[in-house]
Amino acid sequence: MAHFAIRRLAGMIAVLFAVSVLVFAIFNVIPSADPARQLAGRSANPQLIASITKEWGFDDPLPRQYLTMMENILTGKVVSYETRENVDERIVEGIPATFSLCIGAAVIWMFFGILFGYLSAVRAGGLLDRALTVVAVTGISIPVFWLAAILLNYLTYRLELFPSGSYVPLTESPLEWANHLILPWVTLAVIFVGFYSRVLRSNMLDAMNEDYVRTARAKGLSERRVMTRHVLRNSLVPIVTLFGLDFGALLGGAIVVEGIFNINGIGQYAYESLINLDLPPIMAITLFGAFFIVLFNALVDIAYAYLDPRVKLGETAQ
Amino acid sequence: MSPPLLSVRDLRVGFATEGGLVQAVDGASFELAAGEVLAIVGESGSGKSVTAETIMGLTRGPNTRTEGSIALDGRELLDAGEEELRQVRGARIAMIFQNPMTSFNPVYRIGAQVVEAIRAHRPQVGREEAREHAVGLLDAVGIPDPERRVDRYPHEFSGGMRQRAMIAMGLALEPEILIADEPTTALDVTIQAQILELLRRLNRERGLATILITHDFGVVAELADRVLVMHEGRIVERGSLDDVFYASKDPYTRKLLGSVVRLDRAAPLRPARREQPLLEVTDLVKHFPVRQGLLFDREVDRVRAVDGVSFSVAPGETLGLVGESGSGKSTLSRAVLQLLRPTSGSVRFGGREIAGLSRRQMQPLRAEMQLIFQDPYASLNPRKRVGQIVGEPLRLHGRASGADLRSQAGELLERVGLAPEHYNRYPHEFSGGQRQRIGIARALALRPKLIVADEPVSALDVSIRAQILALLSDLQEEFGLTYVFVAHDIGVVRQVSDRIAVMHEGRIVEQGPADQVCERPANAYTQTLLAAVPVPDPRESRARRSSSAS
Repeated sequence: MAHFAIRRLAGMIAVLFAVSVLVFAIFNVIPSADPARQLAGRSANPQLIASITKEWGFDDPLPRQYLTMMENILTGKVVSYETRENVDERIVEGIPATFSLCIGAAVIWMFFGILFGYLSAVRAGGLLDRALTVVAVTGISIPVFWLAAILLNYLTYRLELFPSGSYVPLTESPLEWANHLILPWVTLAVIFVGFYSRVLRSNMLDAMNEDYVRTARAKGLSERRVMTRHVLRNSLVPIVTLFGLDFGALLGGAIVVEGIFNINGIGQYAYESLINLDLPPIMAITLFGAFFIVLFNALVDIAYAYLDPRVKLGETAQ
Repeated sequence: MSPPLLSVRDLRVGFATEGGLVQAVDGASFELAAGEVLAIVGESGSGKSVTAETIMGLTRGPNTRTEGSIALDGRELLDAGEEELRQVRGARIAMIFQNPMTSFNPVYRIGAQVVEAIRAHRPQVGREEAREHAVGLLDAVGIPDPERRVDRYPHEFSGGMRQRAMIAMGLALEPEILIADEPTTALDVTIQAQILELLRRLNRERGLATILITHDFGVVAELADRVLVMHEGRIVERGSLDDVFYASKDPYTRKLLGSVVRLDRAAPLRPARREQPLLEVTDLVKHFPVRQGLLFDREVDRVRAVDGVSFSVAPGETLGLVGESGSGKSTLSRAVLQLLRPTSGSVRFGGREIAGLSRRQMQPLRAEMQLIFQDPYASLNPRKRVGQIVGEPLRLHGRASGADLRSQAGELLERVGLAPEHYNRYPHEFSGGQRQRIGIARALALRPKLIVADEPVSALDVSIRAQILALLSDLQEEFGLTYVFVAHDIGVVRQVSDRIAVMHEGRIVEQGPADQVCERPANAYTQTLLAAVPVPDPRESRARRSSSAS
């Protein structure tokens, strides 16, 4: 386990380094993104721009600029070129909203994804399976912004069941927190429910042909026990992988859903920064997101070793 | 006479498929008395496994059409409800399967799976008590240190131990009947002998009635009291062990018995060759490193798959390479062909050193050495036409193209006993034996000097096996081929080989002329291997058992 942790930590640092270099390099080859002009704001004149360039080190060689930027990000001193706000503080402010959105959505999509997948597989070929297939494919195909618009139109503006969005902190009012998040949760979860239920269905159908399932029947287990203890249990392993990657990626900001429902989280901030070509927040948010992707990758591996005893942590396959 | 324990009457099982109804079992009737061992013998597709699974109700499904009657102690099973059937499964009739590797769920401990079986029928038994029972069962089937092993996972067991554990799980509820579907087919021959001994002991000591499903007449002779022979869903022969072996009236049964390869019947000997060897292997070593490390992997151990092997093969000769799984025989054959880079040692082919040649240097030599694979299903690309598969080596080596390629591929197909019209078909349209012929045609395409055949007949039925062996021997005559014939079955190896080398744990423990190795083995391991091969002859098998018992 200690070996595994050290290895993964080293890997994580390498990935984050590579990602940050890449983002920094891309930004610096984009034309019309002169940070000094951004910082100068409306009253920009050549003298001001020149002095800002000098003061902020924008004429330093790129590796030097990169190091300064990374140092500022990691020590919490980095500020936006657009608004001069502290970037790290903005990200921390966005965490509760983004995490509330993602965790809630994940609970919904795992529950319904597994439920629908299980029912589809057990009733494969039957009416319920076909109905759930239609539901799943619809869920996968609906564009998120369209679904959000439909939900808002009917459930918020016509029936006035839910608020139109924005985020109420959990500490302020748990009920309002949930009430405001229901539509965003559903919107975000729908595509994953469709996707996960299809994957689980096909995994389970494969597993049903395994020899150990025949053994389980032959020893006199009830059909339900065969399905849950043997078929479902073994089919969940790939679902865990998918979940780790998807969830890790979402924690870096669910840009579209946060935007539509006006949730002031990390996704929203990422969107603003991209529009403004504001390098410091883009770098910081990318690193933040990459961190979770790498972290969840490691967690997936740990979960794998737990779910499948044949897998040993830290062993490289030959 | 007491009424039979199990009685099967006019059983017909059909499966509705896209191509119409496939009648897998077509009117089978038989009875099983308490305490007897009934063998059902047949080739693949004969309906023997479907019969067994139908007794357990495992073939039930929307596409299955079942008629007839299966009665256990007078109680009809075919129209029994799911719950009634569930109470029979595992509790009164237990079943063990061919592949012990895949028949346990890999994610649960062995003990937990046995406990699950017990508690499915006796929910009042506590977990602790059930576990104790499981330990006792593992002990009863000869698993050493059962107290510790009960908490191990299936992948931590060897193949033979898994099959023992499978049997232990089957015994958990003291069933009256055990159905063993090819229980030893996936096991090495020395392990097979142990499992057969265990089954015999359980039958004798516990009076466990056994239905033994197998394709192997050797296994039948070792174990059965009565024999049924199935062919295309029907029972074509039935009788006592001796009746079926020595006085069979059915032509199919006689043909099947005739094509059984027998260890004790030698192939005609060919004079030993004293020429310059075509292949000369000296001190060949192939180790696989086991790597581990904190940040950078370093080698902590190595698997000595091939550990200093030397042999030579003369042109036109067949060297048989025998060994059980894990002996290193497949690694050796790949290292010889330079498909794996040897760790050290020398491989001379036609006098030229080829160990350590680069891919590009090997390329022209590849035409002269070809490989035939074990699995005729996996070794042919399912999306290519048979003609393309056979012609591919010619195309890759620039030997032929266009119409010429087509006609050459057609000739090759004809030569291995297929029709040139088969050119445009796909592999799935062929049977296992035909596919193996396609594989042989592909290996022949470049007119190689050396063919390494890695278990070329072990996936085939006995009657097909005999045909393929005959084909290989004809081709050897015609093209002056040299074979390295790799197999686990020493009977098959003896039939085709001039000389035999026995591999064990990465080394050749004995090599010499086929007769000498099989009849006067000098090495202890070779002796064990030979003694474990079941003899497809009940009288001899009995004689051997009584002599080893005394």
